[in-house]
Amino acid sequence: MAIRQTLDNLEPHFHKGGKYEKFYPLYEAVDTIFYSPPDVAKTTAHVRDGVDLKRIMITVWACTFPAMFFGMWAAGWQANSAIAEGFSSMGTWREAIMMTLAGGHDPGSLWANFVLGATYFLPIYLVTFVVGGFWEVLFAIKRGHEVNEGFFVTSVLYALILPATIPLWQVALGITFGIVIGKEIFGGTGKNFLNPALTGRAFLYFAYPAQISGDAIWVAADGYTGATALSVAFSDGMAALTSQFSWWDAFLGFIPGSVGETSTLAILLGAVVLLWTKIASWRIVLGVFLGMVATSALFNLIGSDSNPMFAMPWYWHLVVGGFAFGMVFMATDPVSASMTNQGRLIFGALIGVMTVLIRVVNPAFPEGIMLAILFANLFAPLIDNFFVQANIKRRMQRTGVPAEETA
Amino acid sequence: MAQSNNSIKKILTVAFALCIVCSIIVSTAAVALRSKQEFNQELDRKTNILNVAQLYEPGMDVNETFESTITPRVVNLETGEYSEEHDPATYNAFEARRDPASGRTLSGEKDIAGLSRQELYSTVYLVGDPNDPEQIILPIRGQGLWGLMRGFLSVEGDGNTIVGITYYEHSETPGLGAEVNNPRWQAQWEGKEIYDEEGELQPAISLVKGGASGETEVDALSGATLTSKGVTNMLHFWLSPQGFGEYLARFREGTNANVAEGTDAELESEGA
Amino acid sequence: MSAANAKSVLTTPIFKNNPIALQILGICSALAVTTSMSVSLVMTLAVIFVTAFSNLFVSLIRHHIPSSIRIIVQMTIIASLVIVVDQILKAYAYEMSKQLSVFVGLIITNCIVMGRAEGFAMTNTPGMSFLDGVGNGLGYGFILMTVGFFRELLGAGSVFGFTVLQPVQDGGWYVPNGLLLLPPSAFFIIGLIIWVLRSVNPEQVEENEFQMKPNTQPKEAV
Repeated sequence: MAIRQTLDNLEPHFHKGGKYEKFYPLYEAVDTIFYSPPDVAKTTAHVRDGVDLKRIMITVWACTFPAMFFGMWAAGWQANSAIAEGFSSMGTWREAIMMTLAGGHDPGSLWANFVLGATYFLPIYLVTFVVGGFWEVLFAIKRGHEVNEGFFVTSVLYALILPATIPLWQVALGITFGIVIGKEIFGGTGKNFLNPALTGRAFLYFAYPAQISGDAIWVAADGYTGATALSVAFSDGMAALTSQFSWWDAFLGFIPGSVGETSTLAILLGAVVLLWTKIASWRIVLGVFLGMVATSALFNLIGSDSNPMFAMPWYWHLVVGGFAFGMVFMATDPVSASMTNQGRLIFGALIGVMTVLIRVVNPAFPEGIMLAILFANLFAPLIDNFFVQANIKRRMQRTGVPAEETA
Repeated sequence: MAQSNNSIKKILTVAFALCIVCSIIVSTAAVALRSKQEFNQELDRKTNILNVAQLYEPGMDVNETFESTITPRVVNLETGEYSEEHDPATYNAFEARRDPASGRTLSGEKDIAGLSRQELYSTVYLVGDPNDPEQIILPIRGQGLWGLMRGFLSVEGDGNTIVGITYYEHSETPGLGAEVNNPRWQAQWEGKEIYDEEGELQPAISLVKGGASGETEVDALSGATLTSKGVTNMLHFWLSPQGFGEYLARFREGTNANVAEGTDAELESEGA
Repeated sequence: MSAANAKSVLTTPIFKNNPIALQILGICSALAVTTSMSVSLVMTLAVIFVTAFSNLFVSLIRHHIPSSIRIIVQMTIIASLVIVVDQILKAYAYEMSKQLSVFVGLIITNCIVMGRAEGFAMTNTPGMSFLDGVGNGLGYGFILMTVGFFRELLGAGSVFGFTVLQPVQDGGWYVPNGLLLLPPSAFFIIGLIIWVLRSVNPEQVEENEFQMKPNTQPKEAV
C-alpha cells in the first residue's frame, strides 16, 4: 500500500487552503488511476457499477493496442520497403535512432520496421498527449472539476487516425481544436455532442489538406507516392485496386493508410473485447455495418459508367480506409452517440449509409467515415428524442397518467 | 393623429409618395451609373485578356492598349476559318450556344469538359498583326471540381507554344483548386507546347502529379486532383478538333495568312 | 430612451450591445464576406451607410407612417438605399462589387438594418436615429473586421492584401490554414469573439432556461 500512503500523505496539500490547491484536479487524476475514487454516486438516478469511467476508458485504450502495434510495424514496413527500392528516408533524428537501434532499413526485419514506425507514431502520440493534456488540465483547474479520463481515449484514437508523416505542429493544433472547440466549450466530457478526436482530425483535414490527404504522405519515404487503397479505387476503378492489393492485404493491413486504420484484423481483435465487455454498443456496430452493406449493395445494383466507386462491393468497403476503425472505436463513443437502444441502431445505420454515400458520390472526399460520424453525432440527440417521446406516449396510453417526476 | 395616420386616404398617400420618391432615386442611380458600369465590365474583360497575353501592367490604359494591339475575330470551329457573317463586336457565344441553329449538344465521350452545349463559332483575340499574330488568345471553359471554370489560354503565333493561362471565373476550393490563379503556378505554363508532333490534332498538354517533365507537361495543383483533371480535360477539349484544333492547325502549317483572305472570298461566293 | 446621449447611442452597439455578438443578427453575410479585410471593410461601409440613412429617413417621416404598412415602408426605404449602394459599387469599385457579389444586395435582408429601423428610428429623433444607425453599423463592422483579420492573416498570410506571413506556395514558410478560407470558419471565430465578450461583460450571459433538479436521496423501498 505504498502508493496509497504516498498519495494520502500528499493529499492535504491539494485541499482547500493547501499549497497546491489549484492543482487538485491533477492530484485527483493521478490518484484515481490507481484507485477507484472513494466518493461514488449515492443518489437514486444512477446505476452503480464496480467499473467506473476510468476503468472503462483504460479498457478502450488497451483495446486499441493491436491496431497501434500493428500500425507501427506496418508504417515502418511500408517506409522500409520504399527505402529498399531506392527512395531516401525522411528522418534526420529518426535516422539516428534507426541506425542505433536497428542498424538499417531492412523491410524483412520485424524489429527494424517496428522501430521506424515507432519513431513516427510515438512523437505524434506524445505531442497529442502533452498538448491535449495541457488543455484538459487548464480547463479542469479553471473550472474546478476533475481531469476527465475520456481524454486518455481521445488522445490515442486521435493519434491513430493520423498519417505517419504529419508535421507535429499540426498534430498539436488539431488536438487543441478537438479538445477546446469539440469538447471543453460545451462543458467537457459528457457534454460534448461531437467526437473530439474526429473533430480534431476534421479540422486538420480542412485546414491542411495537403498534409493529410493525397498520395505523397502515407509512406514515410522521401518522394515516394503511394495512394491509399481507397483513392486507387476512387480514381482508377476496382480493377486497378485488385491488381495492386488483394483483399487479404487490405484485411490484414498491408496497405498504406493512417497508422491505426490499416489492419481490419487488428481492429476487430479490439472490437471483440469491447463488445464482450459491453463497453461498445453492439447495436451501433451492427447498425454501421448493415447501413454500409445495404448502401453499397444499392450502388452495386445501380452501377455507373463514369464513377468506378459504384462498383465497390461491401467487403471491400469494410477493409479499406478508416471504416473498420471508425465503426469500432469512433461511432461507439458513448457520449456523442445515441443513448437509447433503438436509437443506437438508427444512429449506426445513418453512419453506414453516409459513409458509403460520401465515398461513392462526393467528388472531393475519397474517405467518408470521419464526416459521416460527425454528421451522425449531430443527429444523435434528435434520434434519442424520437424514441424517448415515443416511449412516453406508449406509457401514457397504457397507464393514462404522465410519469411522475419523483423517484 | 394615430387615427388620421391609419385612414385609407393617408395610407394610400404615404405609400404612393414613398413609391414615387424611391423609384426616382433608384432609377436615377441606375441610369446615371449604367455607362460607367458597362465600361467597367468591358474593362474587366479586356484586362483579363491582356493579362493572359502578359501585356498587362498595373496603371496602364487598358482600353488604349487593347484597341491598338488586339483584334477580335470570330472563328468557325468546324473548319477553323474566320467567319465574317458574325461581327466580333456583337457576337455573343452564350446566346449562340443555346440556339439550336448555332450551337450543338455534347454528351458522353464527346463532352470531356462537361459543357453539355457548345457554340459552333467562337471569338478569339489576336495580338499584333491579325494576319500574322504574335499571340492567339482562346476562350476556354469546363467543369472543375465544384463548378464551371472560365478562362483564357494564350498561344503563340506558331499555334503550338503556350504563353499563359488565366481563369477569371471559378468556384474551386480556396487554397487548393483556387491556386489556378496563383502566379507561380501560372508561370510554368510559359513555353509549354500543346501538341506532341507535327500534324497531330489531339493535344498532348496535360497536368501531371509530382514533377512535370517534357514540353507538354505541367505540374498539377497540389492537393487538387480533380481541379487538375478538369483543367486537363478542358484543354484537351478546346484544343482538339472539337474546339480550336482545326483553327490552330492552320497556324502550325503556316497557312494562316491565307485564312482571312480565303474566308472573304468564300463569303462572297456564299453570299452570291 | 430618447433622452439617451449621443455618445452612448453611438458606442454601446460596438461592445455592450453588439448586433452580431449579442443579438446574433446578420450572421449570414458575416460568413460570406470575411475572407479578406478589404472586402470586409467595403461591406462594413455599405452597411453603415444603409443603416444610418435608413434610420434617418424612417425617423424623418415617422409621424406620417401609417402603422398598418410601416414594415413595408421601412423595407422600401432600405431596399432603395441598398440598390443605390450596389449601383455605386458597381460603377466605382467594380473589383470589390465582383467579390461581394450578391451580398451587397442581401443587405436588404440583414436583420440589423430592419431591426434598428423598427426598434429605434420609429420612436426617436432623426439625429439620434442616424447616430444609432452608424453605431450599429460600426458594431457589425467591428465583428466583420476582426473575423476578416484572422481569416485573411491565418488563411492567406496577409492583411489588407499585404503579405505578412509568406505562404509556402509563394516560396515562404507559412502553411496557410485552408479551413479559414471556408465560410464555416467564421462561425468558430464569431463564437470565440462572443466567448471573449461575455467573459469581459458577464451581464451579457443569458439566464439558464431551466434548472436541473437536485438528485433525490435514496429512500426506503416504497
